[in-house]
Amino acid sequence: MSTLQIKHLFGLRGVSQSDIRTILDTAMDFRQVLERPVKKVPSLRGVTVVNLFFENSTRTRTSFELAEKRLSADTINFTTSSSSVKKGETLLDTLRNIEAMKIDLVVVRHKGTGVPKFLADHSKAIIVNAGDGAHEHPTQALLDMLTIEQHLGSLKNKRIAIIGDIRHSRVARSNLWGLTTMGAHVTLCAPSTLAPRNREFFNSVHFEQDVRKAVHEADAVIALRLQKERTDDSLLPSMREYRNFFGITRDVLEQASPSALIMHPGPINRGVELDSEMADSDQSVILEQVTNGVAVRMAVLFLLSGGRASE
Amino acid sequence: MNKVILKNVRPFVQGSFQPLTTMNLVDGRWVGESIEGAIEIEGNGALALPALFALGLDFQEPLRDDIYTFQNGYTAMRRGGFYGGLYESSVNPIDDVQKLSAIQQIFSKSGFQLSILGSFSKSYKCEQLAEMLELASCGVSGFGDGNHLNATTRFLRLAMEYGAMSSKRFFFLPLDLSLRSAGCVHEGDVADVLGMKGIPRIAETIVVHTILETALFLKVPIHLKQITCAESLNLIEQARARGLDVTCDVGLYHLLFDEQVLFDLDSHFNLIPPLRSPQDKQALWDGLKRGVVDAISCNHTPVLRQEKEVNFEDAVAGAISLEVALPAIWSTLVDHVGERRALDLLSFNPAKIACAGLQKMEKRSNIDLVLLDPREPSVVSPKILSGAVQNTPLLNNQIPSAIKGSYIQGLWTQV
Repeated sequence: MSTLQIKHLFGLRGVSQSDIRTILDTAMDFRQVLERPVKKVPSLRGVTVVNLFFENSTRTRTSFELAEKRLSADTINFTTSSSSVKKGETLLDTLRNIEAMKIDLVVVRHKGTGVPKFLADHSKAIIVNAGDGAHEHPTQALLDMLTIEQHLGSLKNKRIAIIGDIRHSRVARSNLWGLTTMGAHVTLCAPSTLAPRNREFFNSVHFEQDVRKAVHEADAVIALRLQKERTDDSLLPSMREYRNFFGITRDVLEQASPSALIMHPGPINRGVELDSEMADSDQSVILEQVTNGVAVRMAVLFLLSGGRASE
Repeated sequence: MNKVILKNVRPFVQGSFQPLTTMNLVDGRWVGESIEGAIEIEGNGALALPALFALGLDFQEPLRDDIYTFQNGYTAMRRGGFYGGLYESSVNPIDDVQKLSAIQQIFSKSGFQLSILGSFSKSYKCEQLAEMLELASCGVSGFGDGNHLNATTRFLRLAMEYGAMSSKRFFFLPLDLSLRSAGCVHEGDVADVLGMKGIPRIAETIVVHTILETALFLKVPIHLKQITCAESLNLIEQARARGLDVTCDVGLYHLLFDEQVLFDLDSHFNLIPPLRSPQDKQALWDGLKRGVVDAISCNHTPVLRQEKEVNFEDAVAGAISLEVALPAIWSTLVDHVGERRALDLLSFNPAKIACAGLQKMEKRSNIDLVLLDPREPSVVSPKILSGAVQNTPLLNNQIPSAIKGSYIQGLWTQV
């Protein structure tokens, strides 16, 4: 029986192994709930959750919303396209107005690094980060970890390769913090213009520029989505060259463990970071990641709201 | 003719010129045994030098094949004693593998060792990166800007950062285009007297500094082309002391001439970068002596006659040099730096910078050589120049030495 040491979920950097363990174990329990005919529990009855999305999102927002409904929470969606933010309201005023409606929990996505922390500093609500800039996307990393554990057992000593636009990826950052905390060996691979420039902080992970070496004997390969804007911004010459040197193809994957999992946070650029053949193969667990996303978000919301793991 | 006997020549073997000897050459090899049915060349004590390697080759193909063809370029190389060169077109950026493949196919039939610089941006526009990893994997020797660097510092950084994955060298002609503006001569006394717009030294040194700092930051090997002043050489020395892999060259004509020749307003002296002051020229020679300068570049740039035979300021910049480089500079160069270092500057180092094979003169091995009489002055007549161009400042001038011929890829070319 345990609750979390953290009060909010800003990211996975600095989150203890025991907290991550608790979230993953609880998520595994909720995963069972999602297999039932009636996929709903009353755990958050009477709790009001605001989904405060300042960036476009379909998958993450839908996943959070579904998780909240499965937990019987009251849910409000607040997006910039339909909000007073468009009329010039400041972030703090937006928060104060929403808080005045007596909400309990805020799920926030914003283009700015640190916005979840800022909200927590100015609010009594519990804050869950659904993605802040290129900083962190902790629930995505947690669902990735849950998926790997489901297939491979413990994360300890597993070799995980993360390939793609590391520099701009909040998914990669959350994953490398979470995975290394749980004892996995992480290798990052990116074109030099998309890799972190200063690596002192990343001393627990290995950097590799050759994608074949990066996936060598990997137990799981996480391909990151490549944004088209990277070529417009002179960071890459072309999608074609990216695919030829960093794309996950059958040829590349032959270097990995024969049963290596293929993962992707979605949506996939087929034929760029991941070939269709690989995305649709038996090794692909991409759709399981989506299912696990709901279970992980249920666990996070439940535990941060004061739920105990054994309940 | 693939059998040649060179009589009374002094081959450069193991670092020095040997006493008079006979060299028997068959199918590109220096053989020990005597041969029959060969043409015989009386050397009269001429030097048999390892053939040279040219930095800065541009045959203006394919857009200007009305004035110069690849074949013209090959002929010039044979006449000048060059076995290879680093090709970088100013009009035809090699920015994708299709273009690279096409030019490789052309060069493969030439018999010369021609290395190719890929472009690091699409169309030299410095807006979008070229596919440098593909180009590197298909054989470019490095990346360059076609002598018109107009990149923002951010783009320069990204290009070098991305290209660094290939471990290839980046080549730059350091010249700030905004400071150059409409300038066509060195910004100094002569420009003031003649009332012409000048190009200040800082147009070079500012860019040198930016490139060196960026390369140091990213640990990217670079080559700086056609350095013209002491200040740039000092910056390069300092960067080397800080651990940067940086090489540089000086242009042939920048060693032979300075801005004083501009008083005649001969448009053949319209060069970019411009000929600078006598003190700058002296600084380049000092740089050669103390080892800061790695190579002497040819920057062979054919320009149509009607584009040169105009007033100085309206002339197209550039000069051809392959046929005249060696006889024009050899004697003075040897006086300054000695024979071994002279060959380093004209052959060995340029080849290393371009990642090409080096010449080695040994019996029973393949050799390419150029036969030079260092004591026989010659005149640069139009008939020794290849193609429909004559744009060398040395045209109709006497130069201190004479090339008697070359033996490259097993072919003797009498000059």
